Amino acid sequence: MADTPSVLVIGGGSTGCGIARDLAMRGLDVTLVEKGNLTHGTTGRMHGLLHSGGRYAVSDQASARECIQETRVLEEIASHCVEETGGLFVKRPEDTEEYFERKLRGCDECDIPTEVLSGREARQREPYLAKDIDKAITVPDGAIDPFRLCVANAVSAENHGARIETHAEVTDLLVEAGEVVGVEVRHQSGKGTRSHGAAGTIEEIEADYVVNATGAWAGQIGEMAGVDIEVRPSKGVMTVMNVRQVDTVINRCKPKGNADIIVPHETTAILGTTDAEVDDPEDYPEEQWEVDLMIDELSKLVPKLQSARTIRSYWGVRPLYEPPGSGTTDSEDITRDFFLLDHAERDGLPGMTSIVGGKFTTYRMMAEDISDHVCAKLGVSATCRTADVALPGSKNYRVLEDAMDDYGLTSPIAKRSTQRLGSRAEEVLSITDPNPVVCGCEGVTRAELQDAIGQAGTDLNAVRIRTRASMGNCQGGFCTHAMAQELHPEYDAAQSYAALDELYQERWKGQRHALWGEQLSQAMLTYALHATTMNRDSDPVDREEAIDFSAFDDGGDAATGTDTRTTAADGGAHGD
Amino acid sequence: MSDAESPPDDDVPSVPDDEIPDGDEFEPVQVFPDNELDLREGADDCYKCSTCDTNCPVAEVDDDFPGPKFQGPEQWRLKQKDDHDVDDSIMDCSNCMRCDNACPSDVPLSQMHNEARGEYVDQQMDKLSVEYWRNRVLANYRISAWFASKVPRLANAVMGNSLVRQVGEKVFGVTAEREFPEFAQQTFRQWWAERGGPQVRSEDKRVAYFHGCYANYNTPEVAKAMVRVFEHFGYQIAVPDQGCSGTPMYANGMLDDARRDAKLNIKEFSELVEEGYDVVCSCTSCSMSLRQEYPELFSFEGTAEVSASTYEAVEYLRIHEDLNDAISAASVDGPDLAYHAPCHARNQGLDRQAVELFRDLDGVGIEDVGESCSGISGTYGWKAEKYDKSMAIGEEMFEHMDEAEGETGMTECPTCAMQMEHGSGYEIRHPLELLEDALVAA
Amino acid sequence: MAIEQDVLVVGGGLAGITAAISAAESGAHVRLVSYKQPTLRHASGLIDVLGYTPDGEGPIVDPFDAVEDLPEGHPYERVGPAAIEAGLDLFDDIAGDTYEGNHTDRNALVPTHGGAVKPTARYPDSTAAGLASDGRDALLVGFERLVGFDAPLAAKHLAAAGAPFDARGVTVEFPVELSADPKVTRFAHLLDQDKPIGGGTRGVRRALAELVNGRLDGEARVGFPAVLGDDHPREVRTDLAEHIGADVFEVPMGPPSLPGIRLEDRLYEALDEAGVSIETGNPVVGFEADGDRVESVVVDRTGNDVPYAAEEYVLATGGLVGKGIDSDREGVEEPVFDCHVAQPSDRYDWFEDEAFGDHRFARFGVDPDRELRPMDAGGTPEFSNLRAAGSVLGNYDFAAEKSGSGVSLATGFHAGRLAGEGAT
Repeated sequence: MADTPSVLVIGGGSTGCGIARDLAMRGLDVTLVEKGNLTHGTTGRMHGLLHSGGRYAVSDQASARECIQETRVLEEIASHCVEETGGLFVKRPEDTEEYFERKLRGCDECDIPTEVLSGREARQREPYLAKDIDKAITVPDGAIDPFRLCVANAVSAENHGARIETHAEVTDLLVEAGEVVGVEVRHQSGKGTRSHGAAGTIEEIEADYVVNATGAWAGQIGEMAGVDIEVRPSKGVMTVMNVRQVDTVINRCKPKGNADIIVPHETTAILGTTDAEVDDPEDYPEEQWEVDLMIDELSKLVPKLQSARTIRSYWGVRPLYEPPGSGTTDSEDITRDFFLLDHAERDGLPGMTSIVGGKFTTYRMMAEDISDHVCAKLGVSATCRTADVALPGSKNYRVLEDAMDDYGLTSPIAKRSTQRLGSRAEEVLSITDPNPVVCGCEGVTRAELQDAIGQAGTDLNAVRIRTRASMGNCQGGFCTHAMAQELHPEYDAAQSYAALDELYQERWKGQRHALWGEQLSQAMLTYALHATTMNRDSDPVDREEAIDFSAFDDGGDAATGTDTRTTAADGGAHGD
Repeated sequence: MSDAESPPDDDVPSVPDDEIPDGDEFEPVQVFPDNELDLREGADDCYKCSTCDTNCPVAEVDDDFPGPKFQGPEQWRLKQKDDHDVDDSIMDCSNCMRCDNACPSDVPLSQMHNEARGEYVDQQMDKLSVEYWRNRVLANYRISAWFASKVPRLANAVMGNSLVRQVGEKVFGVTAEREFPEFAQQTFRQWWAERGGPQVRSEDKRVAYFHGCYANYNTPEVAKAMVRVFEHFGYQIAVPDQGCSGTPMYANGMLDDARRDAKLNIKEFSELVEEGYDVVCSCTSCSMSLRQEYPELFSFEGTAEVSASTYEAVEYLRIHEDLNDAISAASVDGPDLAYHAPCHARNQGLDRQAVELFRDLDGVGIEDVGESCSGISGTYGWKAEKYDKSMAIGEEMFEHMDEAEGETGMTECPTCAMQMEHGSGYEIRHPLELLEDALVAA
Repeated sequence: MAIEQDVLVVGGGLAGITAAISAAESGAHVRLVSYKQPTLRHASGLIDVLGYTPDGEGPIVDPFDAVEDLPEGHPYERVGPAAIEAGLDLFDDIAGDTYEGNHTDRNALVPTHGGAVKPTARYPDSTAAGLASDGRDALLVGFERLVGFDAPLAAKHLAAAGAPFDARGVTVEFPVELSADPKVTRFAHLLDQDKPIGGGTRGVRRALAELVNGRLDGEARVGFPAVLGDDHPREVRTDLAEHIGADVFEVPMGPPSLPGIRLEDRLYEALDEAGVSIETGNPVVGFEADGDRVESVVVDRTGNDVPYAAEEYVLATGGLVGKGIDSDREGVEEPVFDCHVAQPSDRYDWFEDEAFGDHRFARFGVDPDRELRPMDAGGTPEFSNLRAAGSVLGNYDFAAEKSGSGVSLATGFHAGRLAGEGAT
């Protein structure tokens, strides 16, 4: 192995996974560590827009060109993660004609194909658009599942020999003789897939080179080696609707602004977003006004949203970066471009480069850039192949549909399963055991869950992002316990219950921002099922004091089947 | 600026103005014309409690049927706009609509099922298949009945012939197990014309009678009872031109056929409603259709007005007359009754009506045979491949009929009556006939 | 003209039914109107009275000991212990031998499908052999195609809770060929019908028993998910017990819940026996008032507005799940009579950050006086002839306390009796 250069990648988001895949395909010995599950940071908290570049066509044309180029690539290599929805920039009467024209011209300049629609044509395509929408520009925006994409990159990296460690938090950078030579990580439950309750372990991992791909967290890694990385994390809210009110990405055609996009995403539509700088990427306020703003502002484009059901909201933190001295005050004006910070050149600390800034759509290009950089450092001449080789599972799912009949699934469930699993559908679903649906909202069967558990261990949130189970309208009320039950007997009872509590709490976290109307009724029903019917809130196993079982009704004679009603020792029913 | 005032560059001739949504009055039904209804947002109301599934008589006897929660909110939510494959199990739904009544959260289940079925038939069913045409003929019963009524004796003889029935099953997929309903020698409309129309005139008490197909062609005695009872209470009755209510058409996904007849019905009846008439039906599926399904599925002028003025016949009298007092004062000499509430009566809150009304009537005992579905659900039980399922669903009702004191059945729905008769051999009566006995004949 | 009765009960769940029967017992002509099916069939069918205090102390052995310490405004504090007893008595009369637990004031601990045990005051006879204080060893049996009850996992969790018996779990294939996702009603139907399977003479019950026999290791009792029959639960259980040679019990599931469905059926029979007029399927959409009296309510009969007039009214429309309490981004309301519902003005104070925190939303509802008349913000009854019962009431968290059914029975009884007396 001494011949193969080793690289350690910190961060299991789209960029980190993309880098791991790229380097592994070039034949390097790659280890990726991520402190949570894959997509734990920013990737899992974006709106799922696959940018055509239209959004940057006026303000940042370089980014716009990269976007359209990468969108074309992803449609080829990750077809099971992408839905080619198309997008519209819609103009309300108060939005300026001038900006509409600039947008159109900008797209043209960036080779983004467009078409202008009248208001009526736009409504023909998306009937819920407000009737006062004047006109619209079509662009080739799409929707992408960041979870599936990230996991597919990680699986591909593993297939090329990489080691992927999730729930492995970097606790220190190993620096020897002024050079970064590796990291110390704490495995939450030992190496390999997560297993609740297993003891944590510490591991030192040495590598020829370290890549810091932790985005908004890059500064925290930098600190460990005493280098300053000025990431300016910026939070944005995303509000998830229960159903898709639109099947096309809807952008508002005006200069920068909050609450200007609706992305159809799988079974839902996602409203976004805001842009406000925060100090700490893990600790910032999530506020009511932000959710209300999404609904009220975007109702101007799609009035139906005002009364429609939202199922949760979540916040993401952009890893914005600008070179020292740029002096931009408004985070919205900070460039979306990305930067390679070679700490040898920049800080006199060889052995590590950080990658900051950038955006999800161009993750592959960023990975390619930094992989080229790393290879140059290590004297490796292999070139990038990630744009040409399809990701695992990528295959036009429409050609797979016929095969789905064999698995006895009803049509929409078969369809969604195939969409999620892509070309792996047959391998996953062709089992002989009974295969009931466990998550009815998203149509996820036992076989698909077992497949994900095989990849993710007891980490049910990692199972969730792979399958979408518990991401529908009941937000796990009817399936989280059934999902946890799938862990048993491979994992023991205590692990299954711990995994359930963790998933249930995670589902609650986002749902808190949707608690009115239908979702409040849903939350109450879920609470009643889990607390009243199952008594999970006061489960004796979780309470300190042991129960004195003998103090309670043991059924008397009724229990033993003699079926005669007797008066118990304590004198019978109260008041009689 | 409304679309009507839009500049000429908005000229898109293929889409008529009225199909473009209209500001705040966004109703999916109006938004998506014809076969492009999008009910995904109906899924917003579902909180997954499965009360609908526990009420589904088909799911109870057939575990291949995924149930109303799946057929409705789950399928619509999972389905994406360009998916054109509604699961074929939608054709196993019998359209009993019990799920509608069950849902504690107001999900428009039956509407979702009707739309999904319409889409399935329209886009996925082979229009040259025997099944399609068999369903189409069953759904358009009125047309067959019209022919038969021209030669009722011949029709009865032919349809009663067991050889004909065997051929019907083999070639056409209509079960040979059932005997075809007998056609009356004189239709209700012929009788109505012969008696010279209404015998009572009134300025303020006027009802327009929607008799439907069955009371016209097969059981005119029910329709005559309606006329006599309402005239007894001083109502002026109108019997306008009318087509089928549409129920069997929705159940077979034949929405175009339903639309054709609905157009006629709404035109005829809305004119009378404007003149102060209320609409009265003797069949609970007909009243269900006019009241609930018309406004859900159609937007002809007058639809809302007809819907809001429609009542089931006995319900109408209970609301507008002191029917309880009249019944308490009356007596009859008749057999004890085993009453079955049709599913569609249940949806209108009428399932307890006959029992609570007639338990105060001297001389007759009445017993509810339970809340199960009869299983025939209109044309459903006539299909050869559904016959066994239909009888399995009906088993609970047959059991309860057997246990009940009475050996005469009673129900408001003509196809439930067929099933009751088929399973028990009892004679089946309509509440209007008993009302006639109690109030008019006396 | 209005449809007239002495007492009109709006809502057809446990509280409404109890109120209607209790009013009818005082001689009033009662009509119950209910829009959709009640949430009874969401619930486990257990009749909880009080399992934990509002502070989370418990499980409580004797709920009556704890009732006196409840805070002011709690529905039990409003109606007093006598109403709780009377409500339970009324329930015991209705339920007859289909329920157990009235031989003692002590709570029973019933195993749940999640593997925990929960305290309850009355329990369906089908669960009686499964009580956790019964020292006999138990075998739990789950079905492959019925998700939500993993018998081996539940058995291990029972052991972890210190249950005084050995529990073991097995998962079997139901002995009838089934699709991947049969409904609970399908299992129940097959067991009800007990038809011979595979062309032989062996019925479904016997076949299931034989499957279990092969897995039995001397356990004196066998627990199944609660799908053992809908129409003939007792026969199903008796047959299984006989063929297995052990007592048979159900582990409550839900929703949907067969024990809840069976209870609903029994309660509606009791309504009928009490001479209550019942109308289901149409919503109450408005009301007419004269001063502080409700004169009539308006029922939307599939498109036609029809007034229903009574002397006394009982509101038993349920809570957030039953839609007796409704909400939007701006606030929380009681939609039929627009009674006052106390609520924090900031929506973000409606919940806690912990999933099982002390959620304010769980206590949303109307605030009644001691005669169960909903009060306005100033503490004055909204109407002199309107009472409320069940989960439309606020000030208690039935899920945390395990007090849902008990409150419905106590307040249903109390509201019904006062309404009946007031109307006659």
